[in-house]
Amino acid sequence: MLTVTNLRIAYGGAEVVHGVSLEVGEGECVALIGPNGAGKSSLLKAVCGLIKPTAGNIVFEGADITGMAGHEVARRGIAMCPEGRQMFPEMTVMENLRLGAYRRRKEDISAEIEEVMTLFPRLRERASQMAGTLSGGEQEMVAISRALMAKPQLCIFDEPSLGIAPKVVDEIEDTLVKIKALGVTVLLVEQAVSMALRVADRAYVLEAGEVVAAGTSAEMSSDPRVQRAYLGA
Amino acid sequence: MLVDLIQQLFNGLVIGSIYTLVALGLTIIFGILGIAHFAHGSVAMFGGYLTFFFIQQFGIGLFPAMAVAMAVGALLGVVLERVAYHPVRNAPPINAFIIALGLTLIIEKANLLVFGVDQVIIPTGFDRVFNIGGVTLPELRVYILGIAAFLVVAMTILINRTWMGMAVRAVAQNRPAAILMGINVNTVSMFVFGLSSALGVAAGVLVGALFAVAPGVSGGLVVKGFAVLILGGLGSIPGAIIGGLVLGVSEAFASAFVSSAYKDVIAFLLMIGVLLIKPEGLMRRRSNR
Amino acid sequence: MNRLCMLAVTTALALLPQMATAAEKTLTVGVSDALSGGGAVYGEPQRRAINLAIEQINAGGGVHVGEDTYKLKTIEYDDKADPTEATNVARKLIDRDGVKFLMGYCCSASTGAVASIIGREDVIMLVGTAGARAITAAGNDNVFRTRPPGDYSGAAAGRFIASKGVKRLGVLATRDVALFTQYRDALIEAFEAEGGEVVALETFGGQDRDMSAQLTKLRGLEPDGYFISGYVEQVAFAYRQAYELGITAPRYGFSGGSAEQFLSVASSEALEGVWDLIAIEFNADALGDTAKAYAKAYEERWDAYPTPNSAFAYDQVYVLRDALEAAGTVELDDVKKALRNLAVPEETVLEYLPVDGKMFDPKGQAYISNGAFQFHNDKWDFVTKLPSDSAAYSAYFQTITK
Repeated sequence: MLTVTNLRIAYGGAEVVHGVSLEVGEGECVALIGPNGAGKSSLLKAVCGLIKPTAGNIVFEGADITGMAGHEVARRGIAMCPEGRQMFPEMTVMENLRLGAYRRRKEDISAEIEEVMTLFPRLRERASQMAGTLSGGEQEMVAISRALMAKPQLCIFDEPSLGIAPKVVDEIEDTLVKIKALGVTVLLVEQAVSMALRVADRAYVLEAGEVVAAGTSAEMSSDPRVQRAYLGA
Repeated sequence: MLVDLIQQLFNGLVIGSIYTLVALGLTIIFGILGIAHFAHGSVAMFGGYLTFFFIQQFGIGLFPAMAVAMAVGALLGVVLERVAYHPVRNAPPINAFIIALGLTLIIEKANLLVFGVDQVIIPTGFDRVFNIGGVTLPELRVYILGIAAFLVVAMTILINRTWMGMAVRAVAQNRPAAILMGINVNTVSMFVFGLSSALGVAAGVLVGALFAVAPGVSGGLVVKGFAVLILGGLGSIPGAIIGGLVLGVSEAFASAFVSSAYKDVIAFLLMIGVLLIKPEGLMRRRSNR
Repeated sequence: MNRLCMLAVTTALALLPQMATAAEKTLTVGVSDALSGGGAVYGEPQRRAINLAIEQINAGGGVHVGEDTYKLKTIEYDDKADPTEATNVARKLIDRDGVKFLMGYCCSASTGAVASIIGREDVIMLVGTAGARAITAAGNDNVFRTRPPGDYSGAAAGRFIASKGVKRLGVLATRDVALFTQYRDALIEAFEAEGGEVVALETFGGQDRDMSAQLTKLRGLEPDGYFISGYVEQVAFAYRQAYELGITAPRYGFSGGSAEQFLSVASSEALEGVWDLIAIEFNADALGDTAKAYAKAYEERWDAYPTPNSAFAYDQVYVLRDALEAAGTVELDDVKKALRNLAVPEETVLEYLPVDGKMFDPKGQAYISNGAFQFHNDKWDFVTKLPSDSAAYSAYFQTITK
């Protein structure tokens, strides 16, 4: 579904991603793990069209989307649940959700709203509250729901557990499992590696802008390097 | 005394409603693009001249002339966004600032060239004066309040109840997230410039009917508009509405109870006061972003 | 190229004998006036009036100065009512064109700039419509002005308003133009001297078109008369808004605008009955047969009716002619002396009120009659002359310098 080939990204001459290739298949849940500054976020931004890569290409459902404008990428069915939640703070929870379905604005979206409200019952209580006034965990729920509202072919989660209370992290893990069960293709970027490996089918390890290891979640969990570096073994 | 108070309130609300129309355009442009669009006043004057021209040349009524001028104004706004501001959207803000100043000069001079230096008063024929218990309500001023209220309500509905309006607010509040939702920021920018310029033209027409369209008027309008923005909160729509009315009424009351010599100082005193006490503006919550 | 040169030289040679044998002399006067821009409504009519007077004098045989007869001609420049431009024009006229007599001068700012440097020059400057008091109050011995300063009319207006039975006056006036503030202050002083009371003095600025707040405040004080002064447009807006506020007490004003100018801002209902208390500029109804003859001649020559202020410039030319003929020479010192002792010329359009039998007082200032005009049926009707006192004002005028 998504194929990234030899992608290079540079900021003002300093290259941060040095030829990364990865693949996400239909219905799969793929994790991208690695330390801070490994280039994970840059890679995601390039996929979503927020920045232009310097070389390589990105193919989504058979079409080359390299360097395409962000809103075009979104309209093709890649939804992103961004790092830091990125709420529309002075809009209600309901409005945030509706904006998630912006690419489907000519369709009836009440069913999807019902669906995410079932997924996160707390959002129902908060529906008319300004998103900026919610707690971090609640905002994360809104961000995830907003991404799902687009009924995306591919849903990307960028550090959903960052800065969230540990109890809520478990809740988020459950949610990711549920989303996976719905058949949505997921690309998950996480620093909480053990959680990521529990949820994902496969994983790539990104370090200093390069893929240093790849394989199924089970393989990665038993990889001594991964264990040493990320799982505290 | 009470009669005078109500009379001043009415005077102030009429002027304030025009300030609101000017400020609404400025605030949505500032909210979306972070641009201080100084040329807004000149666009408003252009609309006033154009309306006068339509009425004189084609003998059409005030309202159709105003509607056509607003449409032309919207088109002009879109062209300004494409030609002037779009090319520098990723450059440092000083570029847009300089372009805004340049545009102001260009449109102001173009108005002079096309429409001449004489002041123009848009004929309305609304000459009746209603008297309610000593408070006089001139027909024209009542209509101005009505037109301004109608436009403000229409714009609020547009912004709050439509997909386009939601997109506008989304871009203003979180641009990268808006892009991730599939919102085309270019389209939103053009729409905002079109909408803002149409409102500016409406303000220009009302000024032209109540007072006059003339060289030098636009500068004053823009200054008042920005004063309202600072009063109400940069980029805030409710802030522009409340701020405009507050400014208009304050000016009227200042003339009445302090001194007419300080009428124009009031705008700046209010601005300084708000900056000291509530720097985010009357109608903005402290940002928690 | 060569052939062109030849042609030019031959033409010049052919013209030479004619010039040498011309019997009469020519006296050139420099005209500096606003011929474009906002001031042109005053400047261009002045230029036309000057040319009309010169053509009349030349047709009548010219100016007889001692043994010689002079024909008058002009060199004209556009000073755009701008101080810098007017100063440049003055330099050009004096240094390059060698002109000794300057006239025109419609606008206060540009004329004031020239007046401030002209004291050191060997020229005589005749000022027309420019009203700022300092132009003659400064006391240069080579500046003469036909239009009286604003406060001269203000005092007469104050007495007039009191004589109409007004006891409590509400005043609304522009705050930043010397002509209007001086008029206003003189009016208030004279009105209070007659026992009247000013309930409040409200002001507006140069760009204001909304005086509703000030008028509402005045209305609340319930005066039995209003006085409103400033440039035409602003005064017209004030009358419009006074009407909208239901103000019906008598409204007196000082602005000097034409009926058309007022009607372009306010409706005839809003203007009906308002007064304009001004120096009587050209007005065929208020001034007798000379004025009618002037209007006829002006209309024939320029195909337009003369503006009120144009007569200030027309009269300048006859003042100069009489002074030259009285001096019997074109020497500046003698002409200056003649101007100071000049009686009012026969042909002048306006009604001058001489001081000690002389048209110009020691500061070179002339005084004309003041009148009350009332707006009625879409035009200004002349009603009566104001109680003017040129000798008393002139005595006061000698004691001030700005």
